[in-house]
Amino acid sequence: MSTVLTDADVAVLSVAKVVDARGTGCPGPLLEAKKAMSGVAVGDVIELWSSDPQTKADVAAWSGKVGHAFLGSVAAQGYDRVLIRRAK
Amino acid sequence: MAETQKLVIMVTHGPDEPELASIPFIMAGGALASDVEVVMGFQADACLLMKKGVAETVAAAGYTVLGELLPTIQELGGKLLVCSPCCQRRGLTEADLVDGAEIVAAGRFVAEITSATNTLTY
Repeated sequence: MSTVLTDADVAVLSVAKVVDARGTGCPGPLLEAKKAMSGVAVGDVIELWSSDPQTKADVAAWSGKVGHAFLGSVAAQGYDRVLIRRAK
Repeated sequence: MAETQKLVIMVTHGPDEPELASIPFIMAGGALASDVEVVMGFQADACLLMKKGVAETVAAAGYTVLGELLPTIQELGGKLLVCSPCCQRRGLTEADLVDGAEIVAAGRFVAEITSATNTLTY
């Protein structure tokens, strides 16, 4: 379910907001993503940082449920960078 | 446009069972993040979770401390309903509870549950 991106894929995205949810467990990263979405415009991309390995799959499922576009994730040093586009 | 979904989460475990007390709050957070309306109902020892200062002390290993989740759940619109006879038995009044928690009786619980899309019980 999770889409693996490369650094090059992410580099061409214009990220409107970076949310650092590292160190928080479920449902912390999801709640941070929810809050961040309300602060960006439709069409903007947010980048969620999470050290919980389940987050990327959880965000993919969440995006499908609420109607945002899950773009994928890229592994960083001890965390994942998860990219979501606000779609509504 | 889909209708709003509503999840009622009934909680019966208190501070002595931190894992079973924590999971309902995690599910509530996940539901609220997913634009699902949430009503949490606290019965039996779970009433104690709504006593001021208690959530901050409930921390199961590997779980987020309840005191960190509770404000977010309220901020996102989660309702906190606490069983009236359960409070009476434990000497709790609304003044003892966290701001926003409401003491209710069986009729309100039944109304919330029967109007919900789904109910979870812990």
